[in-house]
Amino acid sequence: MLVNWLKRIGTYLLVLLGLSILVFIIGRVIPGDPARQALGPRAPEEVVQALRVEMHLDKPYVTQYVLWLKGALKLDLGKSLMTRRPVIEDVKEFLPATLEIVSISALLMAVGGILLGILSTKYSDSWLDGIIRVISYLGIVSPAFVWAIIFMLVFGYNLPIFPTTGRIGLTITAPPTVTGMYTIDYLLNGDIVGFKDALAHLVLPSIALMLGGLAQAARITRSSMTENSTKDYILAEQAYGIPERKILFNYLLKPSLIPTVSVLSLDMASLFGSAFLVEQLFNFPGLSRYGMQAMLNKDLNAISAVVMILGIVFIIVNIFIDIVVAYLDPRVRLMGGGN
Amino acid sequence: MKRRILALLLAACMIFSLAACTPGGNSAAPANTPSNNTETEKPKQDDMLSIIRMTSDWPTYFDPAVGSDFSDSITMINIYDPLVFPQIDGSVAPHIAKEWMISEDGLTYTFKIRDDVKFHSGNLLKASDVAFSMNRMLAIGEGYAYLYKGVVKEAVATDDTTVVMKLEKPFGPFISSLIRFMIVEEKLVMEHLDKSTNTYGEFGDYGKQWLLTHDAGSGPYFAKEVKLEEYVLGEKFEDYFLGWEENAPKYFKLSGAVEPVSVRTAMANKELEITDEIQPLENYNTMDTFEGVDLVAYESGTNMNLCLNTKKPPTDDIHFRKAMAYAFDYETVLQQIYPGAKRCHGGVPGILPGANRDIVPYEYNLEKAKEELAKSKYANDPSKWNITMSWCAEVPEQEKIALLLQANLAALGINIEITKKPFGSMIADAQTIETTPNASLVNNSPSYFEAGAMLKTRYHSSSTGTWEQMEWLQNDEVDAMIEDALATTDREERMEKYKKIQVVINDLCPTLWLFDWVEKRAAQVGYIDWNPYKYLKEGKSFVYPMGYSLYVRDMKVYPEKR
Repeated sequence: MLVNWLKRIGTYLLVLLGLSILVFIIGRVIPGDPARQALGPRAPEEVVQALRVEMHLDKPYVTQYVLWLKGALKLDLGKSLMTRRPVIEDVKEFLPATLEIVSISALLMAVGGILLGILSTKYSDSWLDGIIRVISYLGIVSPAFVWAIIFMLVFGYNLPIFPTTGRIGLTITAPPTVTGMYTIDYLLNGDIVGFKDALAHLVLPSIALMLGGLAQAARITRSSMTENSTKDYILAEQAYGIPERKILFNYLLKPSLIPTVSVLSLDMASLFGSAFLVEQLFNFPGLSRYGMQAMLNKDLNAISAVVMILGIVFIIVNIFIDIVVAYLDPRVRLMGGGN
Repeated sequence: MKRRILALLLAACMIFSLAACTPGGNSAAPANTPSNNTETEKPKQDDMLSIIRMTSDWPTYFDPAVGSDFSDSITMINIYDPLVFPQIDGSVAPHIAKEWMISEDGLTYTFKIRDDVKFHSGNLLKASDVAFSMNRMLAIGEGYAYLYKGVVKEAVATDDTTVVMKLEKPFGPFISSLIRFMIVEEKLVMEHLDKSTNTYGEFGDYGKQWLLTHDAGSGPYFAKEVKLEEYVLGEKFEDYFLGWEENAPKYFKLSGAVEPVSVRTAMANKELEITDEIQPLENYNTMDTFEGVDLVAYESGTNMNLCLNTKKPPTDDIHFRKAMAYAFDYETVLQQIYPGAKRCHGGVPGILPGANRDIVPYEYNLEKAKEELAKSKYANDPSKWNITMSWCAEVPEQEKIALLLQANLAALGINIEITKKPFGSMIADAQTIETTPNASLVNNSPSYFEAGAMLKTRYHSSSTGTWEQMEWLQNDEVDAMIEDALATTDREERMEKYKKIQVVINDLCPTLWLFDWVEKRAAQVGYIDWNPYKYLKEGKSFVYPMGYSLYVRDMKVYPEKR
């Protein structure tokens, strides 16, 4: 088992290395001079050249990459051309905001999706199943940014009940930083007004983000449960007269969740990708919005940092899901701790 | 079972540890108060009714030695004070400088400084602060420093209220250019130098890092809260040396939320008072239907140009260029692509002092176009010359202009090969004659508010090889005329010289001057007073250099009318 995990960690490290090379190459082939872009078209050439030297842009690509990698291993991700400060400072500020929004979305997506799937199975072919099916189809076919625009127009414009921009209101003081996630920090600080305000700012973006994944989870849970419900062991349990509710939750749900959990793992990771546009639309100052601005401004160090962090998050989510799958499926555990 | 639960908990911790291991999450939001405490009180709910909220493209650098973009300029003019202040007729008036004297040779400018101006810190503004600000700007070389580098040799304070600036060579528009020179407090900046770097020698980082999120100014508002990548919140500086009128806004907030749906929603909910100038046309039209919201459109001194490479066949032939100029359908652009824009009279936007409005612009006239083409050395077979044309990928509307030109020139048998390029690539292409396309679509703005700014950067040989002059005009006569005009310190005489230069350039036809840009914004005129709107209603002519139309001190807010 230990060997298996070591192998896996080695693979993940290789993936990260490959990712860093890929991002580095892509960053360099995009047309345009980052130093010139940062200082503006009218900046004197000597000033632009000085910035190129400071950023090592005057050195060969291989040297640039080695210098970047050395720095990254020491958590020195270079300086952002956009915010003009160390990228690690930006990450410290923006990552918690994205983790907060994505965590809430992931939680809603997993709980809501599985719950809807169970309801859909239990009331199969009823009106409730029909409604859930329609919601699921709509969720699957519409990208998160479309929901973001719809929510903003409906709940920000027609029925203005939720705030549509930023993390907290202008009159609310930010909490003392513990985790950087405002809702948690407000609670730790015992500030209920701040907590409510921060939560209200999370409602629309997090729902917009999670709808696609929720719909998928609901559909897969339903089809998996429907398929398993005709298996012999379920029929045997029914023949023994075990109550339906017990069969549903104790014997049918657990094995049916394995494909759902696998799909949820991918969906959770893709939440970070969808957050790029959703954060932009809600002017939510998270890492994804920062990443998008970095790409538009050709801020090479910031782009590399964002992509690498997303890569690491993706790997962590995968490890987490492997553990959950191993918990749900004894066969996986017997094979050595993961699929 | 215990091991499984432990494993699950560990995995969950791995995710949350990413956040937990990143303390200091709010590090980018230190704020200023007039006394420069880093602790700040949040605005109260009632006070928030006296606020002007605006949007602008991000990021914002309001350190006067660093910023020069639209949002930078808006923030700077509200937080800092310039030496002189622009007037709506295009001239400048004393501001921090009470008066000035220019030496006979035009090389020495002596400014008398007001003695009643306080910085936000409470300290008095002195001549030494002015000299320090200029020297700091020249040393850093970013932002608006391009206006003064190679022009100002040194700035020295001779006493508390006198500062002397020596120039490298006579520069007539020097006073006009000083609307971009903002004054920082020397003492405060020196207290916040980052000496861990020696970028500027003994000055370390010259306070750049600190001024990213703090201010050292004396302007009508102080930076109360700065959220990098999000917004700048300014609060009224009660001790402002020019005082305050009733209903002047207590706060201003400039935010980077320019997404059309966000802007529209905020305007509908009265959570935004003035929009940015880069919204799609349909968004402006929708906002115009909101109660209390009106569109305000005014000329900004920017024009849209199709730059023709005068050193590359076939656009090296003056008659070929004129044929193109007569073949283009300008009216369609003004009516359908950029409604509200103004027709150009030559290469200098009409509202700039020194613009020659008597120049008769090239008009669509196919007969004249054919006549000119017949005179050109490429008359025999124009179709064998493939004209290369680039348009800027960041401005999608330009594609319509490119396609229109392609259709227009087809009537003359001229082919155009259109390429969409990121602005960064266009800058790279502009570096040599060979890589510069025959035609390039570019917006140009003056660096200071005078025709000379446009003439120097657009048509003087010193700017060839940059995106600002893709024409490669390299005309000795034009160069000499521009140098002579810029060295003229008498304003009226200088303006006359500018006008003559425009006639010469117009005749050379190096550019298709498509239109003068109109800056368009939606504003909550139902409960705010905003001068551009007022002047438009009164039919009064006015001009504002970039950013100055959003000088919040001149605005009024009436919370009871909301």
